[in-house]
Amino acid sequence: MLKIIFGDVEHGIYHTPTYFDNRYEDQWITHPLTVEMIRDIDKSEVVGTHLIESPVLGPISTKEISDGVKTLILMAFDKSGRIFNASACGDNCAKWIARLGKRDDLTINLHHVMNFSSVPEFEAVMVNTGVVVHSYREYLEEAIKIKER
Amino acid sequence: MKGMYHIIVQNNKLRYEMDIRRNITIIRGDSATGKTQLINLLEQAAVFGESSGVDVVCQRPCRTLGGNDWNLVLPNIHEQIIFIDEENRFVKSQEFAAAVKASDNYFVIVTREDLPNLPYSVDEIYGIHTSGKYHDLKRTYNELYRIYSGTSFLGKVRPEAVVVEDSNSGY
Repeated sequence: MLKIIFGDVEHGIYHTPTYFDNRYEDQWITHPLTVEMIRDIDKSEVVGTHLIESPVLGPISTKEISDGVKTLILMAFDKSGRIFNASACGDNCAKWIARLGKRDDLTINLHHVMNFSSVPEFEAVMVNTGVVVHSYREYLEEAIKIKER
Repeated sequence: MKGMYHIIVQNNKLRYEMDIRRNITIIRGDSATGKTQLINLLEQAAVFGESSGVDVVCQRPCRTLGGNDWNLVLPNIHEQIIFIDEENRFVKSQEFAAAVKASDNYFVIVTREDLPNLPYSVDEIYGIHTSGKYHDLKRTYNELYRIYSGTSFLGKVRPEAVVVEDSNSGY
């Protein structure tokens, strides 16, 4: 299930792109889930472990994919137990975060109220208050009560 | 520093064009819209100048600011347009807000986070919009768009609630 912590979190990874550049594993990049996420968010194709084909930039390295996709890949594959800053992700990543949260337990850190309106059946635990929300509206109502950002 | 500044940042694949109107401008929006690319180009131009291959056209110098020594660097910068990439935690701090207030620079901040310490206008929150290829067909043209655009109401409107910026807004 997806768990959301607003505000600073101990041992959390705030600057996810840098953490990704230094910690990603080659096999993460060619995994079908990653290929799908890069295609959807970056509109780019994974050619191989070290090469991505971007429609704008041409051939780019894995380290040049968007910050949002880097963060999603960490959420999907990093097993260090770290909590990643989902505020590095745009709203176009929201449906992927929800999907990853359905696949496994996933705890994310937010410093803004992310727009999950694109997720049809949204469910999450708001860790700050302990409340389980079962829709985007419930999430919004709970999120605005939380002072931590 | 006062007034509006038109900025063009480009290399042979990307071109960004924007007008910066106020001392604080916020850029946010979806992932993979080119926010980090813009900052990278500006950083390369600021460090390597002409050798970078990046063209920056503006009446004022444009540069980036980041890292833990921002508070040592900022007091020595004057009348420039300063770009700050997301995930620089200091932008939320009271210390940064005080430094901005005392500064004669313009700030363009890439962030999705709330910045309650900074007085910025809702009109100066932008996303980056790719409007297609530039005329040479190999360069992607990017421009800013207002995220919260004004809405005109025709006829009589009876709103359920009016949200204002603060108690001094005159309502």
